[in-house]
Amino acid sequence: MAELGRIGVFVCHCGLNIAGTVDCPAVANYAGYLPGVAYSTDLLFACSDDGQVAIQRAITDHSLDGVVVASCTPRTHEPVFRKCVEEAGLNRYLYDQVNLREHVSWCHMNEPEKATRKAMALIAMSVQRVKQLEPLVRQRVNIIPKVAVIGGGVAGISASLDLANAGFNTYLIERRPTIGGQMALLDKVFPQSDCAICILGPIMSQVGQHPRINLMTYSEVDNVDGYVGNFRLKIRQKSRYIDTMKCTGCGECEDACPVEVPSEYEFGLANRTAIYRPFPQAVPNKYTIEKKGHATCRITCPAHVNIQGFVQLLHDGKFTEALNLYRDVSPFPGVLGRVCTSPCEDKCERGKYDAPVSIRNLHRFLADKEIEQGAEPVAILPLDKEDKVAIIGAGPAGIACAHDLIRSGYPVTIFEAKEAAGGLLRYGIPEFRLPRDIIDLEIKRVENLGVEFKMGKRIESLDELKEMGYKAVFIGTGAPFSIRLRIEGEDASGVFHALDFLDRVNSGKNVTIGDKVAIIGGGNAAIDAARTALRLGAKQVSIVYRRSRQEMPALAHEIDEAEREGVKILFLTQPISVKEEQGIVKGIKCIQMRLGDIDSSGRRRPVPVPDSEFTIKLDNIIIAIGQEVKPTGPLWELEHTEWGTLSVDSRTMQSSKPGVFAGGAVVLGGGGTVIEAVAHGKTAADSIARHLQGIDLLKARDDTLSPIPYVDVDIARLGQNMRPAMPTLGKSKRLRSFAEVELGLSEKAAVEEAGRCLSCGVCSECLQCLTVCEPNAIDHSLGDKISEIQVGAIVVTTGFKIYDPIETREYGFGTFDNVVTSAQFERFTNAAGPTKGKIKRPSDHEIPKSVAFIQCVGSRDRRVDADYCCYIGCENSLKQATQIKEKYPETEVTIYAMDIRTHGLGYESLYHRAREMGVIIVKGRPSEVEEIPGSKSLKVLAEDLYTGERLETTHELVVLATAILPHDDMKDFARKFKLSTGEYGYLLEAHPKLRPVDAFQDGVFLAGACLGPMDIPKAVAYGKAAAAGAQSLLTPGQFQIEPMFAEIDTELCMDCDLCGEICPYNAVVGERDERKVLSELCQGCGTCAGGCPMNAIDIHHYKREQIMPVIEAAAKVKGGVET
Amino acid sequence: MSKKIFDPNIVAFTCNWCSYGGADLAGISRIQYPTSAKVIRLMCSGRVDPVMVLEAFKNGADGVIVSGCHIGDCHYSTGNYRTQVRFQALQTALESIGMDPQRLRLLWASASEGQQWAEAITEMTEQIKKLGPSPISGRGKK
Repeated sequence: MAELGRIGVFVCHCGLNIAGTVDCPAVANYAGYLPGVAYSTDLLFACSDDGQVAIQRAITDHSLDGVVVASCTPRTHEPVFRKCVEEAGLNRYLYDQVNLREHVSWCHMNEPEKATRKAMALIAMSVQRVKQLEPLVRQRVNIIPKVAVIGGGVAGISASLDLANAGFNTYLIERRPTIGGQMALLDKVFPQSDCAICILGPIMSQVGQHPRINLMTYSEVDNVDGYVGNFRLKIRQKSRYIDTMKCTGCGECEDACPVEVPSEYEFGLANRTAIYRPFPQAVPNKYTIEKKGHATCRITCPAHVNIQGFVQLLHDGKFTEALNLYRDVSPFPGVLGRVCTSPCEDKCERGKYDAPVSIRNLHRFLADKEIEQGAEPVAILPLDKEDKVAIIGAGPAGIACAHDLIRSGYPVTIFEAKEAAGGLLRYGIPEFRLPRDIIDLEIKRVENLGVEFKMGKRIESLDELKEMGYKAVFIGTGAPFSIRLRIEGEDASGVFHALDFLDRVNSGKNVTIGDKVAIIGGGNAAIDAARTALRLGAKQVSIVYRRSRQEMPALAHEIDEAEREGVKILFLTQPISVKEEQGIVKGIKCIQMRLGDIDSSGRRRPVPVPDSEFTIKLDNIIIAIGQEVKPTGPLWELEHTEWGTLSVDSRTMQSSKPGVFAGGAVVLGGGGTVIEAVAHGKTAADSIARHLQGIDLLKARDDTLSPIPYVDVDIARLGQNMRPAMPTLGKSKRLRSFAEVELGLSEKAAVEEAGRCLSCGVCSECLQCLTVCEPNAIDHSLGDKISEIQVGAIVVTTGFKIYDPIETREYGFGTFDNVVTSAQFERFTNAAGPTKGKIKRPSDHEIPKSVAFIQCVGSRDRRVDADYCCYIGCENSLKQATQIKEKYPETEVTIYAMDIRTHGLGYESLYHRAREMGVIIVKGRPSEVEEIPGSKSLKVLAEDLYTGERLETTHELVVLATAILPHDDMKDFARKFKLSTGEYGYLLEAHPKLRPVDAFQDGVFLAGACLGPMDIPKAVAYGKAAAAGAQSLLTPGQFQIEPMFAEIDTELCMDCDLCGEICPYNAVVGERDERKVLSELCQGCGTCAGGCPMNAIDIHHYKREQIMPVIEAAAKVKGGVET
Repeated sequence: MSKKIFDPNIVAFTCNWCSYGGADLAGISRIQYPTSAKVIRLMCSGRVDPVMVLEAFKNGADGVIVSGCHIGDCHYSTGNYRTQVRFQALQTALESIGMDPQRLRLLWASASEGQQWAEAITEMTEQIKKLGPSPISGRGKK
């Protein structure tokens, strides 16, 4: 294409804005001599009618083929001049603008000569560009006549209603479960003191009922695509776990829910339940269950007991329901309430703050409580399945497996070689730790459900079971063999192995023991053996352990109890040989050890200290260094690991033989725990049911629990209280019997302890709500719903955040009970608030006789990067002050303020009204608030700037007028919508004066406090303005889009597909000769053209040949003057 | 008449959405800075072909600035990631041909960062004054 050769250059003075610095006539004169320029002149105001007419006349008179206007920023005036040249018959794209005002005169005011030379250079660059420009035609696209309004506060409500009333289908998307925004939480609104909800409620319900408004609450925009007129929004409607068609809003569920979390609608002044409705006027008037995921305790528990659920039901006094919830998972609340290693407590979120919730003791309490009250008899479960299942071994794994299978309707038989059920629980754990009647009771309960127990029956082979007609087998035979120490004299008389020792004692056999006993080992069996030996009459009991206390695997509190009972522990001591005389033990020879490097178990390896041998005189030795599995009976038929345990698939617990499953110590070896055994039994039960029904053992198995992404615990507001100590039996009583040492928590202590639970998951899935919901509206399995909507325009009305001074503890907030924020105070005056409209100070619920308001807390404050006025603080405090005076004329009210700002109509009279009612206003920002010991009243330290007097005034309640801030996620939101944010993080309008509701992104409008602090009338006005802006875009039905899209020259293209890879919009399609850019998808960024190695792709209006001459012109400028 | 003072000439590529707006804001806020930078407005900093930067140096520019939205804030989502990658390659290339890589600067400036824009131009101008005229411009010889 030939170069343009008759270019006109117009240099605007912009009054003195440009001409005050730049010598405009000289610049115009200079431009006249540039090659290709046919005409140049300077104009007083190029954008005025006169100026535009002059440009148009020059185009005709001088047959101009291109135009440069050197004036202000093209970001505001390019459309004006494009239209101007178009009206004169030139193509609108044969135009370029030089920015002399923002980029020259205003920023180089003190260097007029240099500024003038820079102006000349910029014009020379622009002329080079215009020479290469080409006429372009704008495409017309159809506009989808629908709007999405994001944010259901008063601005969004106003915008939605105006749009819908004008006939446009409108989606109103709100992330909370109700619309209404902050206004719905206010009591009165200034200056006329209207009742907020009384004026907002009706328009909220209009929104709910409007046929053209599609209200999407509890919803967020996941993704935005497309462009003006044709946006695509992906909406995530978070699950309320409620069928909103069925929910009647009756509120029965709320009474049944045991969970309490701070209510965001009461600013921490009151709690709400996990199933909730924000406030009575909520639109839609439906309940919502808040679920954050499954609590860490439940995920950590190998059997996944619903810990948060039973703990909260316990706290609510629903002991039976709590126990049932526990039993839903494990049949051993009492047994595990005594012997569980409680890995859940190690991961309890509360433990990060003070101490974990005493979870084990709580389910023990529930079990004890049931015994105390008498348990409901258990009915035999009906069996609807025919395939019989055999379980070998009546230990915790086998019983847990049977418990799940019988409840699924399978006939189950447990075969046990010993005479009584319980396995290790009965034979390995001493009675003073786990009373036999607890074991009996819990096993009996499983038997009562219909599980058949065959005692004294040893199974020798799997075929035996097959012949009896069993279709699946679970092996839970434990690890019943003690590991030998392998030292000289181990078989002497008087040497026991722990399992045999405990077994004999626990089964009531006669065991005689001498005065001096040593136990070798450091696990729970060693501690149990030591404490048992004491109870059998031993005078001196020692534990010999080769590492230090830190490495000891026994439970810490068990070690403490053993020491309390008189057990001595010899750390870093290794036995070498048993001293015997005539086959009878007399002592043990040991060597001292020290800790060396870390070994494969992650513990420091003990190393012998040379020449440190010594001998201890003894009557008995008990070896407790672990248990193992030996391949006996049916185990022979299955594959083993190198440690002798059975090999199973850890996800299904299936052994090497299909249909044969195993779990507990036979798989774990001696190091396993009871709760792990229970978990194995349960996993195997699930697998057995799948196996018998022919369902894939692995399908959809692991995705049932979802961790909480982050636990949102308001640590700052948490009171500190420690878990209760477990009451124990006195020492003298202990050694005379096998009576249980731990006595259990009292009801009061247990309920209080349960109250320390932080409700991490919010809803705990205790399912109490299901039992009371008459319309059956609740479904805990519902998921989020993703939908896509297409709209022509978007109105953003996402609002603001109120500054919470809890982190900074500003003016003692969060530390002193009687310092509250203005938002909290609003809830005090609100009849629907926690005090039913009475103003009460939090510490003693008395009516305060003196109230102070402190203004600008977090506002106009450079320290927190918020040095702007909150716009509403003064009026709001004046309003609240008058409310106090109306209700309690005797109460003194003081407002501490740097200055009171009451702008516009009506607001000054509010100020006068407050003054007339006797409200005192002190000019000055208080320096500090101190609590007066004993009275909980507050001393406000301030300086009165009028009198210079230092004030120390006592008030009974202090209200902080806190700042208004942008939402924390405003930046992410802005990125999603391709919007800009300003200095303080609010959304940025296209022009602060003339385009206050337009975003830079065409088709997006902004309204309300997402733009900055606003009061209600202003937010409504903005909402309506944004609605009007959207309507004027949508009404014509079509929109012209800029023709700046990329195009590929397939002759040059080498098909490397770099452009396709680079394009953010996937606009490049096809291969080789077919390769092209879809202009409707291309947004015109030109990143593809910037990367093409063959210069085969280029972008209209920003072509290579249109840019390169500009660069040359710019680069050749020397000292500000072109050569 | 007066002695010659070296007055650097900088070619500044900006995107339309963030950096050009930032430069506008510097002017609207009347923040004063040197006249050295000549702005070339493109839609996205991703449009800047490395050849364009070389073209500027070839024609004697003392310095080049490529300026766009902050990473993550690109109006076109990912255009400025490309800019960043190309910029690193360009710096290496400049170094290999004996051009001080300090003559090329990448600047992320948003539409609300007028102050940052003005400071960056001021700093860059001072830096280039220290480095002296571009070896290509032919003004380096006394």
